[in-house]
Amino acid sequence: MRTKHPNRAEPKAALGETLLAIDDLRVSYGGIQALKGVSLEVKRGEIVAMIGANGAGKTTTLKSIVRLLPLAGGSIRYDGLDLAQLSTEAIVETGVALVPEGRAIFGGLTVRENLELGAFSHKDGATMSETIDDVVQLFPRIGERMKQQAGTLSGGEQQMLAIGRAMMSRPALLLLDEPSLGIAPKLVQQIFVAVEAIAKSGTTILLVEQNTRLALKYAKRAYVLRTGTIAMHGDTRELAENDEIKAAYLGG
Amino acid sequence: MGSSIVRQGLGAVALVGIAIAAEFGLELLIPDTAFRQLVMLALVNVVVALSLNVINGMAGQFSIGHAGFVGIGAYTAAIVSGHIHEKIGEGAEFGFGASFVVMPPAIAAAALVAGLFGLVVGLPSLRLKGDYLAIVTLGFAEIFRLVIATASPGTEATGLGGLISRLGGQQGYGGPTDTGVAQYAGPFWVVGAVLVGVLLAWRLKFSGWGRALRALREDEIAAAAVGVDPTSYKVTSFVIAAMGGGVAGALLACMRDGNPTVQPEQFNFLYSFDAITMVILGGSGSVSGAVAGGIFVTVTVKLIEQLQRLEAVELFRAAHPDFDLNALRMVVYAAVLIVLMVMRPAGVFGENEIFRAKPRGPAQPPGGGPPADAPAEAAS
Amino acid sequence: MFDNLGSALLTGIAQGAMIALVALGYSMVYGILKLINFAHSEVFMMGAFVGLFALQALGGEGSPLLAGVFGTLAAMLFAGLLGTVVEKLAYAPLRARGKEASRIAPLVTALGMSVLLQNLAQLLFSARVQSYPQIIPIGETRIVIVVACFATMIGLWLLVHRTWFGKSMRALSMNVDAARLMGVRTGRVIGLTFMTGSSLAALGAVLYCLDQSPAYPTMGTVIGTRAFVAAVIGGIGSIPGAMLGGLLIGVLGELTKLTPYSKFQDVLVFAALIGVLLWRPSGLLGSTAVEKV
Repeated sequence: MRTKHPNRAEPKAALGETLLAIDDLRVSYGGIQALKGVSLEVKRGEIVAMIGANGAGKTTTLKSIVRLLPLAGGSIRYDGLDLAQLSTEAIVETGVALVPEGRAIFGGLTVRENLELGAFSHKDGATMSETIDDVVQLFPRIGERMKQQAGTLSGGEQQMLAIGRAMMSRPALLLLDEPSLGIAPKLVQQIFVAVEAIAKSGTTILLVEQNTRLALKYAKRAYVLRTGTIAMHGDTRELAENDEIKAAYLGG
Repeated sequence: MGSSIVRQGLGAVALVGIAIAAEFGLELLIPDTAFRQLVMLALVNVVVALSLNVINGMAGQFSIGHAGFVGIGAYTAAIVSGHIHEKIGEGAEFGFGASFVVMPPAIAAAALVAGLFGLVVGLPSLRLKGDYLAIVTLGFAEIFRLVIATASPGTEATGLGGLISRLGGQQGYGGPTDTGVAQYAGPFWVVGAVLVGVLLAWRLKFSGWGRALRALREDEIAAAAVGVDPTSYKVTSFVIAAMGGGVAGALLACMRDGNPTVQPEQFNFLYSFDAITMVILGGSGSVSGAVAGGIFVTVTVKLIEQLQRLEAVELFRAAHPDFDLNALRMVVYAAVLIVLMVMRPAGVFGENEIFRAKPRGPAQPPGGGPPADAPAEAAS
Repeated sequence: MFDNLGSALLTGIAQGAMIALVALGYSMVYGILKLINFAHSEVFMMGAFVGLFALQALGGEGSPLLAGVFGTLAAMLFAGLLGTVVEKLAYAPLRARGKEASRIAPLVTALGMSVLLQNLAQLLFSARVQSYPQIIPIGETRIVIVVACFATMIGLWLLVHRTWFGKSMRALSMNVDAARLMGVRTGRVIGLTFMTGSSLAALGAVLYCLDQSPAYPTMGTVIGTRAFVAAVIGGIGSIPGAMLGGLLIGVLGELTKLTPYSKFQDVLVFAALIGVLLWRPSGLLGSTAVEKV
């Protein structure tokens, strides 16, 4: 995942500069205000985590970045673009990819077809097979199951496929929603090793994770969401020492 | 408590009074037979709309073969009333007194048979999510019509085929002696059915049962989680709708001065579509909407028939023999329906009523806000 | 007896293949939108009429090959456009409303479209039956139909499995949000799906009429209903299912004609539908989770 990536939409932002800036984001659905003004920032090259209890608004934040949910207010700027003006499909083409909660793989298609669809926004036969090779390098287990129906994979393998599928679009910003949810611990380890490798190869990552220990271990910075607002944020090492975080999310 | 019983008793007396007044007053009020027919037909169609509204409006399911249940009720009532009429030997007179011997069993039989068929059709299709009910009801109504229409009368076949062939096929059924259906349903029965129908629909809608249906329609999984069994509620409402359709069919078949035969073509798909239009135009789930829709659609249908007889139209039709005013009406209706669905999916009244329900008993919901009135979400 | 049976089987396969072409449109649209497109049967009927006019304009019996090929293509093109227009006019605006529109609204709209098109045809073409020119010798019609249908189905299989359109259509039918996250433009795929299904229905319509059947405004109801039942029996949403269902309905229908119950062919079709719903609601080849409450 590290060499030439001819099709990748190279961000204008330089390493360490702001790639994604969310300001006062408000989202409501079903009459309930799910986000009450969330502001956060992701710099190019970082792994940033969002942690918090169920219903705090983590998934809502990710979904609204790619416009799967309509915004009620606030702004989302990605690499100089106003994402509020774009459709989901167009956002994907600018180099943002979301791995949704629950993986959402296409169960009736083969593993290879799932990966191919991941490259839908960059339909180019030559680079596609190259990208598939990269994904297989990242997740060798996926390589062994290319012709299998994706629905027959185990939960962990499906998560690998979902991440691999997202990587097929060669994203500059990868949004990961609960990659460890419901997956055997051994596979969780493999997945996070791969996530680290993806970050090293130059993809910026915004990670939502209910497993706070994992999130704080792999991310550089983290935001803590509580009922639709940012309760605190900072360096993960500092947060891991914070008594409030320890009590609320690290079980003591 | 006591005053409530008194009030209900007074209400019942008032209803019977209105129905009796209609029986003897309608002829004085509307001396013209054709116009009186139109009023009676409109009222029967109100019963059709009220019954379809239970399943299509309140339960949020989609039945598109309601004409089939009306037809089953019509044939059943024609058979039952004809035989009773023969037994009591009333001759050619369909007296008001004798109607109390004939109509109750005829209506009951029509409701029962239609309800039974409703159960057979509803049980397999309502168990499933999605829109299976639509296609199964459509098919059922078509089968009912085709089976009767293709059975040629006069053939002395035995068994089921022979029984069906006695229903007269395409020519229609004219009672057991083929001298015409026993037309005992005067204004008393038609007006009475409308009054009872409105009352029942009203009570259904504002009862706990109606609330459960609304909950199911909004969110089936959530409703199931709090103990509302979706299938049993849906099947029950479908059977109620079918029974109501059967009653309407009984009135249609036995209507005084009405069509002397019951014909399969009366219950074709276009009649089902008209019934849907009645419910949708007024507003799915609205009782007053169903009443208004039933009257409006009937009047326009009859208006078209009158227009066909106008000299200018007949001249035009002589020049253009293929021109069909009714086809034009259907094009217009369908277009209106589509535009309505796109602009205001909840219908003219939405789920609201013209008259608000008087709060009686605990937790009376004010008609439930129709989703169409909610502000449109930001376009995605 | 065996002659009869063999001939009935061949006729049944030809009939079934045509029904399958129509059933595919129902199934593909249901697959991605979960909508029973009632207007599909009327697109079929319109295809039959346009095919008839095109065949006549191209010389009819005088130049069978030219008229046959280009007349059919004209019908398919017209129906494809009609299907797309129906979608854009009636269904797309409801989709834009999202969850606000009730579940019944799309069904009413679809039904309204069906009634509108059928009565429009009555006004435009009159209720009379209009017979097709005999451009294929009677003895060979069934073979031509079977070959044309199977060639089309192979083409469709390639379209669905080998092209980006096919892959995105299947992805869309499994998970709309996930497909959008891949960059699939849902509106475009839905439009193309309507276009494909509608042109297949028009091909079915022309073949149906070339097999000594006239065109008339209400023809869609009978064939459309059979085709929808075929789609459900095969497993609605499943493309091979629609093909299998169509063949089954066709062959069973022809076999009934050998019995004294030939008049009740459509009754049996519906009995089969109810049977399948009770026994296997997802249909014979329906692989998706059973839509049971």
